[in-house]
Amino acid sequence: MRYNQRMDKKIREIISQAKEKLENVKSKDDLEQIYVDLFGKNSPLTSLTKKISSLDLSQKPKAGQQINKAKKGLEKLYEVAKQNTRYRIQDTTPIDPTAPGKKQEIGHLHLVSQAIEEIVEIFTRLGYSLQSYPEIDWDFYTFESLNMPKDHPARDEWETFFAKAKPDSKLGNQVLTPHTSNSQVREMQRVKNPPVRMINIARCYRRQIDVSHTPMFHQFEGLLIDKKVSIPNLKGTFDFFTQNFFGSDRVTRLRPHHFRFTEPSFEVDVICGICKGFGCRICKSGWLELGGAGMVHPKVLKAGGIDPEKYMGFAFGWGVERTIAMKTNLPDIRPLYQNDIRFLEQF
Amino acid sequence: MNIKIPVSWLREYLKTDVAAKTLANYLTLCGPSVERVEKKGSDYIFDVEITSNRFDAASVFGLAREAHAILSSQNIKSTLTSPKGINLNLEPDVAKHLALDVLIKKDTLCPRFAVIVVDNVKVKPSPAYIRSRLEASGIRAINNIVDISNYLMLEMGQPMHTFDFDKIIGAKMILTEAQLGEKITTLDGSTRSLPAGSIVIRDSKRLIDLCGIMGGANSRVSRRTKRVVIFVQSYDPVQIRKTTQALGFRTEAASRFEKGVDVEQIPAALSRAVFLAKQIAGARIASELIDIYKNAPESPKITLDFIKLNNYLGINLDPLAAANILAKLGFEVTKAENQLQAVPPSWRSRDIEDDVDLIEEIARIYGYHNLPAKLPSGQIPRSSESRLKDIIELKKALKFLGLTEIISYSIISRDLLQLTKTPTSQIVELANPLTEIWQFMRPSILPSLLQTLTQNINLSQNLKLFEVAKTYIAQKNALPKQDLMLSIVLAGADFYRVKGLIENVFEILKRPLRWQASSKNNPLFSPNQSAEIKIGEQVVGSIGVVSSNVTDFFNIKTPVAAAEINLTKIYQLPVTSYQYKPIPKYPPVIEDISAIFAKAVSVAEIVETIKKATVLVKKVEVIDIFESEKIGENKKSVSLKLTYQKTTATPTQSEVDEQKAKIIASLEKEFRAKIRK
Repeated sequence: MRYNQRMDKKIREIISQAKEKLENVKSKDDLEQIYVDLFGKNSPLTSLTKKISSLDLSQKPKAGQQINKAKKGLEKLYEVAKQNTRYRIQDTTPIDPTAPGKKQEIGHLHLVSQAIEEIVEIFTRLGYSLQSYPEIDWDFYTFESLNMPKDHPARDEWETFFAKAKPDSKLGNQVLTPHTSNSQVREMQRVKNPPVRMINIARCYRRQIDVSHTPMFHQFEGLLIDKKVSIPNLKGTFDFFTQNFFGSDRVTRLRPHHFRFTEPSFEVDVICGICKGFGCRICKSGWLELGGAGMVHPKVLKAGGIDPEKYMGFAFGWGVERTIAMKTNLPDIRPLYQNDIRFLEQF
Repeated sequence: MNIKIPVSWLREYLKTDVAAKTLANYLTLCGPSVERVEKKGSDYIFDVEITSNRFDAASVFGLAREAHAILSSQNIKSTLTSPKGINLNLEPDVAKHLALDVLIKKDTLCPRFAVIVVDNVKVKPSPAYIRSRLEASGIRAINNIVDISNYLMLEMGQPMHTFDFDKIIGAKMILTEAQLGEKITTLDGSTRSLPAGSIVIRDSKRLIDLCGIMGGANSRVSRRTKRVVIFVQSYDPVQIRKTTQALGFRTEAASRFEKGVDVEQIPAALSRAVFLAKQIAGARIASELIDIYKNAPESPKITLDFIKLNNYLGINLDPLAAANILAKLGFEVTKAENQLQAVPPSWRSRDIEDDVDLIEEIARIYGYHNLPAKLPSGQIPRSSESRLKDIIELKKALKFLGLTEIISYSIISRDLLQLTKTPTSQIVELANPLTEIWQFMRPSILPSLLQTLTQNINLSQNLKLFEVAKTYIAQKNALPKQDLMLSIVLAGADFYRVKGLIENVFEILKRPLRWQASSKNNPLFSPNQSAEIKIGEQVVGSIGVVSSNVTDFFNIKTPVAAAEINLTKIYQLPVTSYQYKPIPKYPPVIEDISAIFAKAVSVAEIVETIKKATVLVKKVEVIDIFESEKIGENKKSVSLKLTYQKTTATPTQSEVDEQKAKIIASLEKEFRAKIRK
């Protein structure tokens, strides 16, 4: 018993001394010396082993086990220290900084997502909240409530896809929304009491395809309703957006236009980034068309359950793809949806 | 619609010193946009965009009238001159008047019908100036009589038609509605079968005109024509539109009639046509003027409040200036102290309905460019955000996990749809598809992702792609269900790789998930290598290795692992809340244990059994699973790392041994597991 206790103590001493030495290894030589010290002919562990033969028969196995365990422990400690030391030694070998690094793999976000993120970030700073509304919606929200009664020729301007479904007796056909303006009356119905500051980004669909049109595209809709809202407020909002999105030297202008759901209606242009308004090969007139906008038509407010005598507002919408084309000089928007990995990996 | 207008022609009616480009700029800022100015010889051609409400400006004179209002409001000197011959005395030139019998069956079809017959006509080519102006606008010159009607459509915006008087059988014109399937051969030589309700003119025997769209070949003016019926009119725009849509045939005249023409201008246009016929074809008036105009529309008187006007403008505009602008645009204006009243001119009567329309007129002529720019100052609403920001965050996380985002069309072909085995009642089909490849709204994103994989497989073998988009499931008597999905495909990966990725995703989404083998698996996946993803009892997605039928369809040779999860459902469920747990003071004892199990035993069952057997084990981790012949058929070896931990002290070896014995006993009892030493 006493002997074993003494042996325990001795072993603990050996281990703690070894730990200390191993922590202070500075070089390969140090490490080799320690190996000899720990496991060599004259090591304390070896001398302990030698003593076993002098023990009582009953104590021998136990002592043997203790020493073996200690030896294994020391070997483990030594291995760890050796590994650490090896790295330290390797650190000093010269490297070639121009050789390739070992990278983690990173993927790519689609250009449309990147543009959406930027747009969202800019408008959230102005207090707009993000809402999501159906992409297949009733005729009522898509046309009728937007001051476009059935058979109105203005509907022809949107090359609309319809879903094969039974029409609702009040809300009409199911329509693949050709614009995001179906969110206007839906948002008014949700909020009920203005102020309203909404943005909605969704996939839209039109029956056309050419260099500047794909049957599916993304549109961005903004709606602001309050007690007093003016055309200068819309101008200010557009300047804020374009200067943040395209650059501080990019101003906007409004041109008269016509939409059934806004009055007055505008088309919004951004000054060309290349010629700065003088007219060049890209822009032709010095300005690039961004999208449509206008002051919400009183009939639309009424359709959304908001009193046009008390409230007014503005709305705007444009294609996300268009803003990308304007920012990146993409001549054809169709590659956005062809998903060639060589295209996607550029961004 | 875009129209091309030579500036030299415009200057016949608009006298001003400003240069063509300056004029284009003013029009663009305050009226119809001049999209391009093209130099042609010594002349400029304006390419003008006309919006559907402003067909009053879709002619040379109409645009001159608009430009004059704009320039004079901007204090630039200009004068407006009317086309010559619009106020002729239309008394017959001959003693013996030709008789023409006109009957309108339904007044609403044709609000105004004006007609006159001329004789002594010499049909020949038009003078050079008319031919070149028509050709500049893309209209082929035919002969002097036909050219007059096209010329006047460009000049005054009024479409008209000419008939050979001698080809109208019985000198009778009956304006009526066509019966379904009635046929007429139009001037272009096509024989058209008409939809019911089309407006037509018949003589005493046959149809001679498809009104507002194209004349009949049987009554056309030819080289031998001597007597001509000059016919100027307006029609019910809705009926014209219905007919053009049904026939799929639209002429320039039809698009103008669809928008509505200025009825008050009809006599002037007719007079101008007679003037030109006399001048270039030697015509004489041979009949009385017939002008049927029963219900002249009442022009609305609209009141505009000045406070409201200035709320829109955001400035204080002098009421007199506002009234002046309207007057220059041809409105009859009476001004009171706080408001004005305005009656629109006849050429704007369809467009101007409310006070907001007046506000637009004043604002645009004042100039949007002259208004300040100012951010709104109102209160910022407290609104609940949609998930868009979370989605952006999720997409970015996926990017940093090495995946590439694609965006593919939500409309797919029948072939792709069939892979999803969607029940018919849940399919959303387009009623009017553009092509066969875009025919159905997709119920799953996965087929599109697989298609993208195929398309790129020669460029990269191990693509990792994702897409976030709404999917569409038809519902009875409601809009389709439009849940937002995240779909992932990993080429060259196995089940556990995509499972690991989904586990990452749920950590980002901060929701706890469960895995369950199921008999109702996604038909795209191999039945043995797929599962349902659940939160609580709700299925929120599916995961698996894409079945070889499907990869064969896409001709993909590598294995593909995939998953699709329903973000709409997931975002509605509560986020895992994190609660502080003290960091253990005493180190644990960690020991490994390996055992051989039947292959069918799941890891979840093993872990559950261990946790049931002892409370001392706080963590069970699988470190290795393997199968081999040595172990035996239908067996597998599972190695686990067990963490024994107590809050009061490090467990002693004897405590650990005791619990380990219990664990082994349980595993042996539950699964007949064989512990490996």
